[in-house]
Amino acid sequence: MSLIQKTLNLFRAIKQNGGILSSLKTLYVTDDLKWGTHVGTDKYGNKYYENNYYFLSRNRWVIYNPDFHLDYDGSQIPPEWHMWMHYTTDKPPTVKPPVNYKWMVPHQENKSGSSEMYYPYSTTRTKIESWQPAHLRTADTEEQNPKLFNIPQNNRIGVQ
Amino acid sequence: MLVARGSRSLAIFRPIASELLPLTTIDHGRLQSTASMQPSADERGEVVSPKDSQAPQGGPQQAVVPHKKRPYSPFKPTNTAEFALARVDDLLAWARKGSLWPMTFGLACCAVEMMHMAAPRYDMDRFGVVFRASPRQSDCIIVAGTLTNKMAPAFRKVYDQMMEPKWVISMGSCANGGGYYHYSYSVVRGCDRIVPVDIYVPGCPPSAEALLYGVLQLQKKIKRMAKSQVWYRS
Repeated sequence: MSLIQKTLNLFRAIKQNGGILSSLKTLYVTDDLKWGTHVGTDKYGNKYYENNYYFLSRNRWVIYNPDFHLDYDGSQIPPEWHMWMHYTTDKPPTVKPPVNYKWMVPHQENKSGSSEMYYPYSTTRTKIESWQPAHLRTADTEEQNPKLFNIPQNNRIGVQ
Repeated sequence: MLVARGSRSLAIFRPIASELLPLTTIDHGRLQSTASMQPSADERGEVVSPKDSQAPQGGPQQAVVPHKKRPYSPFKPTNTAEFALARVDDLLAWARKGSLWPMTFGLACCAVEMMHMAAPRYDMDRFGVVFRASPRQSDCIIVAGTLTNKMAPAFRKVYDQMMEPKWVISMGSCANGGGYYHYSYSVVRGCDRIVPVDIYVPGCPPSAEALLYGVLQLQKKIKRMAKSQVWYRS
């Protein structure tokens, strides 16, 4: 009985993923083949599914936008869907839309490793001053020569 | 008297039991909240793609974030030789990131989270990440916990015994920068004073999920390694 059910589930999963070839592609990209209810799609085009046939923590999952291919990442899930994926709430943002406030910055994925990566910096003066060659010492303040201080221009406090 | 007490208790328990029964039978006691509702495509906020344009339009739609199609390889070769070497780098990186064997280096409570990452719930094995207890057979070391002054030479020795290429994941605030014990007389203020660190995982301790995310970030970093191209260009 259980074997028949499992075979049926396999066929359901293959059918939902759009045939044998695209199921193989899904297996290659996500290492998983599942079937479930399509709960919603976020602004990146990631699709969210739910099926309570699978046990808790595997009953909600995301299929990332196919354009991301293998470069998908957990940080590509926007916060409202993150809440639903992590069981903070049972209501997906399609049922209960998130409240938007003025101070909210738009979500962006983890930029580590790219040119837009976050670079930590300190705003306090260091106790030890590192040696700088004389030909680089023309401009001492960071406003005049920001390259000396390793502070990205868009990352300073007070500057948007 | 006894009979009366018995009947009263039965009367209390009966309705509760009958209320609980359907909950326990349907899908392991979980409430089916969203799966049974099945909202339509418009309610889901689904963006209508040009392929299925016959789908109803005019519903509440989200602004789609523009994005580019991402290729597998991060390299952009300019000539034939670079193209060939880029493929060599891709192949090497694919092999390396697919079987990342970390050396176990649990020093404190972070090690418990590291064990959770190995356990079935987070299951690092599905990414080809398998713990090796020998530094000579591992490519990566996860520094999980407070690195003390006493442990530092041993840690450096273990790191030196590992084969190239090797990577270091610094796990938790103690390994990142001393953390709680930053002002202690016996603690190294961050394991990056001893070895070069590739990935810093913040947290005290970081969850197993965070550590797994760190491992995935390391895989992305390995994918960007371009040794043969660097050799060709220099």
